[in-house]
Amino acid sequence: MQFKDQVGFIRQHIKKNKLRVFMTVLAATMGTAFLIVLASVGFGIHETIRDQMLSNRLVTEVQVHQSEESGDPGEHVEEIKKLAHVKAVVDRQQLGTNQMSLFGEFEGNHVLVVTDFKEEGKVGFALKEGRLPQNANEVVVGSHFTDYLYSEEETESGDFKTYEGDLIGEQFTYRIDDVEGEFVEEELTLTIVGIGENPSREWVSDRNIYAHDAIIPELERIHYSDHVTGSDDHPDASQLFYHDVAVYVDKLENVKMVSNALRDKQYYVFSIADELEQIDVFFLALKAGLVFVGTIAILIASIGIFNTMTMAVTERTREIGVMKAIGADPKLIRRLFLMESAWIGIIGTVLAVVISYAVSAVSNYLLPIIVSAALGEEDFSELNVTFSVIPWQLVLIASAISISVAMISGWRPARKATKIDVINALRQEL
Amino acid sequence: MISVEDLNHSFKIGKKGKEKRVPVLKRVTFNVQDGEIVSIVGKSGSGKSTLLHIMAGFMHADSGVIRVNGVETSSFNEAENAKFRLDNFGFIFQNFQLMPGLTAFENVELPLKLKGVNQTERQQKVQSLMQHVGLTNVQDHYPNELSGGQQQRVSIARALITDPPVIFADEPTGSLDSETEQDVLLLIQSLNKARNITFVIITHDDEVARTADRVYTMRDGELSEGGMHDAV
Repeated sequence: MQFKDQVGFIRQHIKKNKLRVFMTVLAATMGTAFLIVLASVGFGIHETIRDQMLSNRLVTEVQVHQSEESGDPGEHVEEIKKLAHVKAVVDRQQLGTNQMSLFGEFEGNHVLVVTDFKEEGKVGFALKEGRLPQNANEVVVGSHFTDYLYSEEETESGDFKTYEGDLIGEQFTYRIDDVEGEFVEEELTLTIVGIGENPSREWVSDRNIYAHDAIIPELERIHYSDHVTGSDDHPDASQLFYHDVAVYVDKLENVKMVSNALRDKQYYVFSIADELEQIDVFFLALKAGLVFVGTIAILIASIGIFNTMTMAVTERTREIGVMKAIGADPKLIRRLFLMESAWIGIIGTVLAVVISYAVSAVSNYLLPIIVSAALGEEDFSELNVTFSVIPWQLVLIASAISISVAMISGWRPARKATKIDVINALRQEL
Repeated sequence: MISVEDLNHSFKIGKKGKEKRVPVLKRVTFNVQDGEIVSIVGKSGSGKSTLLHIMAGFMHADSGVIRVNGVETSSFNEAENAKFRLDNFGFIFQNFQLMPGLTAFENVELPLKLKGVNQTERQQKVQSLMQHVGLTNVQDHYPNELSGGQQQRVSIARALITDPPVIFADEPTGSLDSETEQDVLLLIQSLNKARNITFVIITHDDEVARTADRVYTMRDGELSEGGMHDAV
């Protein structure tokens, strides 16, 4: 029998029992939609939490800290760079002392960071304007540098006056305190040669002053200028700066390998990938649980399919007998019934997918509004919380489960149809 | 054409564990020649329908051999039997056994669909045969909209559509009035002559048996040549 004729045969039978088939399709649709929507909540919460975590930190970044056994990672940057899959090692040295910048009439509250611009460039440090520093007196300022300049003078509207002119080429003075905590009279004059790119996160402010490592001896000399040389508490440069070492890995999947290599060197290591891994495992279990619960709904729907197909076989016993008598292959009979149950499964699944996407979209739109209204928190709807996400993998899993269950439900009735005895079937009354 | 050798069959009756075996066919042996009409007559319960069911491959005998055109069909499994039936046999039943959800045309077309014949060829063959058996004007009617005679004509057309060499007819006129019975018998005779189709007719009606070239009588599972009255 040609496939087209088999489809026609099934269509004709479905037409004959429209209501019963409709109710069965409805049950299959509801079961599958329940599975998809239920699991989509797991996917939605997982995605929201991942987004929240990833939006604050770089996913390929591994923060390296000193342990009692390891020594300062800042002292071993070159060694760390040699590890496999390490793209860059950024050793940002921050001053551990009070500092002040004076920009004309403005006083600034900035943080001086000494860094290796070559390494910074590898991980996306870019300039909005100007160029990188080439000597000890040249600096790049963060994009929010002017936001942290304050003037005693107030504007007409009552706000503090801020600097609104150009920065490139401008000079400012920079002061730090001494070992006693008093600001040293000697000032450094620094020239702004570049302005950093805005941070990718809108809410992050960059008020740093990025300087070349050639500035370190100057700062040390100023900081320890009043110190009595040769005394027992001889200054140690490492006390003035503290290292903030971040290792950047080439790919996310290699983060774990690099983290382990650093752990082997006794460093304390933190990476978002470690945290993500634990969260992913938890959500994988949660999603599997939700799919399992949803599958129970499909199994309940399968009882409907089983009943419908059993009824169909019983009602068509004589017809099946006639078909077998005139020469229909038992395999063809089984295929026709399996195709009918698969059709119920497929239509049910297609409808369920459409309905699930609609439910998902509506819930993502309405739930934040409802929750914020109920809790009285207006900001909730702006938090970008995703309640339900339906990835294609979920659609694939749900479809496979639904269609398989439909076919398994139809298997026994289909087998029963092939076992129908021709002689008994032909004896049935019309 | 068809040779039946030493066919034996019995049915189990009674409750499970206390079944009895009742013999229905006893050493049945006979031949049907190519292009002849053979009728098997006998009273109800004599075993004639069982013989037809075994010859058609609807069931297996306990022992014995059946050959059709030299092919031993008695050893076939269910799928092989189905394929052989589709290619070699046509069936005419007492209560027509038409598909109620299909029109007269579609009922006749069904065996061709099962054989996988394409639509254009099907249309031509069915159209031509419907014309031959005088059903063109009712081809779009459903079985419940047809008279008994018309339904049996549709049934005959369905049996003929695959050009089988053998047609088995089980009480073909059992549900028809005498006038329609004559029409159907004449149609069977004309088809036998025009197309050289072998007919094996099971009947308890002497009138029907008389249209046959040879008559066998079945009595208590034993087959003998000659009409019922001859046998008596």
